[in-house]
Amino acid sequence: MIKVTDLQKTYNGITVLNIPSLDIPQGESFGLVGNNGAGKTTFFRLILDLIEASKGEVLINDKIVMRNDEWKTITGSFLDENFLIDFLTPQEYFNFIGKLHHKTEGDIALFLESMSDFFNGEILENKKLIRDLSKGNQKKTGIAAALMGDPKILILDEPFTALDPSSQIRLKRFLNDLQSKFNMTMLISSHDLNHVTEVCKRIVVLEKGKIVKDIHTTEDTLKELESYFAV
Amino acid sequence: MILKSLISQEWTKSLRKQGFYKNLAVNIMLGFMVLYFGTIFLFLGFHLDDMLEKADAKLNPMELFNGAMFYVLLIGLSFRFFMQQLNTINLPPYQVLPIKRSLLVNYLLLKPLFSPINYFMLLVLIPFSVQSVSKYYDGFTAFRFVLSFIFVVWFNSQFAAFLKRKYGTSFLSFIVVLVVLGSIAALEYFKVFSFYKISMIVFNFIVLQPFGLLISLAAAVLPFLLNKWFFSQNYYPEKFNEKLNKSNTSTTDITIFNRFGVIGELITVEIKLILRHKRTRSILMMSGLFLFYGLIFYTNDHYENQNGMLFFVAMFMTGLLMLMFGQWVYSWDSSHFDGLTTQNIPIKTYLKANYYLLIGFNILCFVLTTPYFLFGMKFMYMHIAALIFNSGVNVFLLLFFGTYNTKRIDLSKSTMMNYQGTTFKSFLIVLPIMFVPMIIVGGVSSFASVNVALIILTLLGLTGILFRKQMLNLCVNQFNKRKYALNEGFRQVE
Repeated sequence: MIKVTDLQKTYNGITVLNIPSLDIPQGESFGLVGNNGAGKTTFFRLILDLIEASKGEVLINDKIVMRNDEWKTITGSFLDENFLIDFLTPQEYFNFIGKLHHKTEGDIALFLESMSDFFNGEILENKKLIRDLSKGNQKKTGIAAALMGDPKILILDEPFTALDPSSQIRLKRFLNDLQSKFNMTMLISSHDLNHVTEVCKRIVVLEKGKIVKDIHTTEDTLKELESYFAV
Repeated sequence: MILKSLISQEWTKSLRKQGFYKNLAVNIMLGFMVLYFGTIFLFLGFHLDDMLEKADAKLNPMELFNGAMFYVLLIGLSFRFFMQQLNTINLPPYQVLPIKRSLLVNYLLLKPLFSPINYFMLLVLIPFSVQSVSKYYDGFTAFRFVLSFIFVVWFNSQFAAFLKRKYGTSFLSFIVVLVVLGSIAALEYFKVFSFYKISMIVFNFIVLQPFGLLISLAAAVLPFLLNKWFFSQNYYPEKFNEKLNKSNTSTTDITIFNRFGVIGELITVEIKLILRHKRTRSILMMSGLFLFYGLIFYTNDHYENQNGMLFFVAMFMTGLLMLMFGQWVYSWDSSHFDGLTTQNIPIKTYLKANYYLLIGFNILCFVLTTPYFLFGMKFMYMHIAALIFNSGVNVFLLLFFGTYNTKRIDLSKSTMMNYQGTTFKSFLIVLPIMFVPMIIVGGVSSFASVNVALIILTLLGLTGILFRKQMLNLCVNQFNKRKYALNEGFRQVE
């Protein structure tokens, strides 16, 4: 589904990401962990064609991502608040995203209905603008919007931070559901080793832009990761 | 001690702002503007005496000036109300430190008085009082005259800040101020009630009577106390920021473009963006005023044969919104640009939406300026040529070169006269768009005729409209080339 060959990103002569090759097959839940500055967000931005690769390329469904529009139809993503149109109300925002995916008003209402648990009554009920929502609710809005177009690929950067404990648990359950029901390919980065091992079947550890570990999640994975990150 | 470090922290803040050095060109440009106006003001200052001597036989220049002082005060006050940025320091970090609150408040209130821009008018006042007031009275009176004006400045600065804190600037207050100013001017003009005479009595008293200055000083202190009162009433920053940050934005949906699919949706979002942010709304307001630009030029015989200039005015008015918003056509979306470029929106669709929006602006402005046709057929031809040229040539120039504006625009903060997000490039983009057609018209009409010039521009415009697909593709290619630079630049929060 996603194929990375010889991908490099350099800023002022310093290589911040260097991935010789990586394959993410369809339906895989792919977890990305690493300390700050390891290159997680850079990697996601390269996949989403938000920054230009210094070398190499990313392919989605065997098509080069760079300066292409095709992958956008099957990819849902939420990295940070730059993805939100913050002067709209959540409802308007969802309508907008829904229309981009050629959904009818009924489809959109149905989708939001399915999200009502996750939203916990805090998103749609009051007519607030997105910019006036709390960080956690903004995150929920962004994650929901990423899911609106029934994506085959879902890319989330730090989805658990800023969420309250109940929402974190709901999100975990939700992501596992999506995986098993729709065989969705997921790329999730997180600082929380617990969460990421629970959601992802494959964990990749980045350090200074390089892949240092690539493991299939087992019962021991959490311990392995904890000992790796222990100072 | 604390005051000193507060001031130095303010200074480091402005130096460490990211845009400071990058914006050097803009600052130089503004510097030139200050010099330019400074020279004009000085010139005025040295000639005001002559001008006022001729104006009235009985009254001396200072008395005349004092009569106008009320209007100087009023206009200054309304200008400040809209233009003056409310002075804020980021209070919360200081609030938890052991600094007396009253010190912070005093600092906040008095700092603007030290801004040199306040005393710009003194460039007129001082030469005038030295020349004229000292001639009729004496040097001491001249000094008192200048001092009385400084008190007016203080009064204005403090009172405008208070009004702004208390009521905030909104479209409604804009209207209220216009109505008040208009009715005062009308009362004066129709000789119902003369503020001019009252102003003369009051300010003559202030300048000439021993205790006059004390009274005006007291009047200047009063709004300062009002401000203090405001802060004592609203102890917590969240309270007094409420008025400023209040999103009085309506959340009403706009549905008229729903029929046009994705392009319609994008245009709807863009219109909501314009209506829901202060900065864009104030651009709209300014544009409304600029629509009257033609009244100055079209009615003035002096410009009758300056076709280049007249066409400039025609193009400026019919392309007003396109020029105002098109300069930063992509930058307006900077806060959600990453989202837009990863969503299911083909780049071409995105550009098309912007194209249709700008064309829509053109048509709107053209319709709004149709009353100018009453001034003559010539203006009608000019407006039509300008509309076609704007829609066929300039719109693509904006879409093409807009890709070089890679600075994030902060929509939330600002009101009028905000240059955040403006770079040297912004000027480079707009200058040819504004002035090349003017030069063409001016040049061609001097050795052929206006009509030939207008026909040339119309044909150019029609060519652009005819080949819009190809032109748009050029812009799409350009956009794709610059895409990463745009994404990168828009992510940088200042």
